[in-house]
Amino acid sequence: MVESTPNALCFGDEFPASGAPCLVHVEDHGLTITFIPDRDGAEPRSESLRFSELTVSAGGLDHDQLVATWVGLKGQRTLYLKSPDVIRAFRQAAPDHLSQPLERAAEQVRQVRQRHRMVWSIVGGALLVVVLGLWFGSDVLVELAVDRIPVEWERKLGESTYHDFLAHQDVMKDGPAVDAVNEMIHRLTGQIPENPYTFEVTVVKSDVVNAFALPGGYIVVFTGLMKKAESGEEVAGVLAHELNHVLQRHGLERIIKQLGFVAVVSIVLGNPPGLGGMMKQLGVELMTLKFGRAQETEADLTGLELLYRAKIDPSGMITFFQRLAEKDEGRVEWLSTHPMSNARAERLKTQLAEMPKQNPEPFTFEWTKVRASQGAPPSTPP
Amino acid sequence: MKSEILYPGAFPMVRVELAEGEHIKAESGAMVACSPTIDIESKMEGGFLGALSRKFLTGEKFFFQTLRASRGAGEVLLAPTVPGEIIVMELDGVNEYMVQKDGFLAGAAGVVIDSQMQSMSRGLLGGEGFFILKMSGKGMLALNSFGAIHKIELKPGQEYIVDNSHLVAWSTTTTYSIEKATSGWVASFTSGEGFVCRFRGPGVVYIQSRNPGSFGAWVRQFIPVSQ
Repeated sequence: MVESTPNALCFGDEFPASGAPCLVHVEDHGLTITFIPDRDGAEPRSESLRFSELTVSAGGLDHDQLVATWVGLKGQRTLYLKSPDVIRAFRQAAPDHLSQPLERAAEQVRQVRQRHRMVWSIVGGALLVVVLGLWFGSDVLVELAVDRIPVEWERKLGESTYHDFLAHQDVMKDGPAVDAVNEMIHRLTGQIPENPYTFEVTVVKSDVVNAFALPGGYIVVFTGLMKKAESGEEVAGVLAHELNHVLQRHGLERIIKQLGFVAVVSIVLGNPPGLGGMMKQLGVELMTLKFGRAQETEADLTGLELLYRAKIDPSGMITFFQRLAEKDEGRVEWLSTHPMSNARAERLKTQLAEMPKQNPEPFTFEWTKVRASQGAPPSTPP
Repeated sequence: MKSEILYPGAFPMVRVELAEGEHIKAESGAMVACSPTIDIESKMEGGFLGALSRKFLTGEKFFFQTLRASRGAGEVLLAPTVPGEIIVMELDGVNEYMVQKDGFLAGAAGVVIDSQMQSMSRGLLGGEGFFILKMSGKGMLALNSFGAIHKIELKPGQEYIVDNSHLVAWSTTTTYSIEKATSGWVASFTSGEGFVCRFRGPGVVYIQSRNPGSFGAWVRQFIPVSQ
C-alpha cells in the first residue's frame, strides 16, 4: 500500500459530515478517487469517474475551491478540491462540455476576489483620508478651538503653573539683571499692536541655561542663560522668541492638540494594553513633535520681526542660538526644547537679509556690568 | 501523542501524553500542570509579523506556549480560561477550520495557525472581527467554547442559521452569509439576535451554547461601582 496524503474531501450520504479525505488523480478520461481508509490495515478503495458524469462550480468559504458533483450508485456525491495543482490539471484535462462551467467558476472566483479587493481598497483609502485629514487638517481645527478660548482662561491656566514653579526657585526681586530684562521686555512689548496680555517676567537665580513662556504671558529667565550671553541683544532675541510663543498661543494649541489627538486615538483604538498602548503613546509623541517644530519656526520668525520693530539688533538672536548649539557644555536646557538646526539658523538669516537695513538703538544698560553682577567672568567665555 | 478529556462538562481539562521529542503548541497560559520532563517555551507562532498580526488583528495572544517533551516522555494538563467544553479533533491535511479568536486551546506541532482576513460584510457584521484564525495542517487540535459545544453537520446544500456570537469553528467547505435575523431592521434588533449567519453545507459548524458577550453584559450589572 502506498502511503498517500489526501488532497480533497468527498461528501455524500455514507460519509461523515466533515467529509471523507481522499486522493484525487486527474487522468485523460476523468478522475480517479482513492479513499483513505480510516482504519489501519484496511484496503484503500478507488473509484473512477468520467468527465461526462460531472458538473462543476466554485465553492467553499472563499469561493476558491473547485466543487464537482455527480450521482453515484449511493446517491449524490460532492467533491471539494482545494489544491491548486489538482485544479490546474483538472482544467487542462477537462473536455469541452466542462470548460464552460469551469470558466464560469473561475470567473466567479475572480469576481469575488476583485470585489474583496475593491471594498478593502475603498475602506483603506477612506482610512488614509481620515488620517491625512487629521494630520494636516487638525491645525485648522486646533486654531478654531483656540480662538474660542478667552485670554482670561489662558491666564488662569498659566498662572497656577507659574506660581507652582516659582515656589521652589530662588527668585531675583531686583538688581541690574532684573532691570535689564525689564527694559528688554518693555521695548519689545511696546511694539506689539493690540496686545491682550499683561506680561509678567521673573528672573530666577540658577545656572541652568534656559528661558520659557507659559500660556497667559508668564515668562521665566534663568541667570544661567544671561551669563552665557555676550550682549543684551542676545538675551532679547530669546525673549522675543518666548514672547511670540505666548502671542501665538502655542501652549494652548499644544494642550488642545494633545487632548484632541489622545481623544481621537482613544476612540479609534480604545485603550489597548501592551504593544498597542505603546504605539498609541508613540503616535501622540510624534504628533506633538511635528507640532513643536512648526511652532518653533513660527516663534523664530515672528520673534525676528518683533526685534526689528523694537530696533534691537536681530543678529544677536541668530548668533546666540548658534553659539549655544555649538558649545554644548553644562546644562543648556533651552536647547533640548529648542533644538538648533542649521536649517533653522539659515531660515532666520534669509529672513533677516530680506529686511531693510536699519540702525539699531542700543540698550541703556551696560551688558558687561549686568553679567558681572551675576558673577560671570568679565571676559568672553571661551 | 495521545489526548484525553478529563472531567467533561463545564470545567474540563485535556491531558496530552507526549513521547520524547514531541511538542504541542497551546494558548499562552493554558498549561495547568505537566511532568518535569516537559519544557515550556514561549513562541511567536508564524514569526514576529505573524504574531503581531495575530495579536492586533484577531485579538489572540502574541505568544503561544510550546510544551516540549525534551527530556523524556511526559504529560501535560491544559485548560481554557472560560468555563465550557473542550473538543479534540484530528486534522488530516485536507480538513481546514476557521476558528473564532478565543476558540483555540492547543494543537499538535503539525497544525498550522494563520490569521486570515474575512470579507468586509463578514468582518463588520459577523461579530468575529476582520481577522479570524485558520487551522490547517495535520494533527490533534483542541478547541474550547463558552458553555457546551454543539456540532452541526451539514450535507451539501443544507442550510442552518446560527447567531454569530455562538460560533466556535466551521469547516472551510461551508459558506455563510450574514443576514438580519428578521426581515425588518427594527425587529431584527429588538428580537435580540441582530445579525445571524446562514451557513450552507457541506461541512461541520461547531457552536457554543452560551454567548460570552451577553454573559459579560449580565455580569456587569452585579459588579459594584468602587468608591
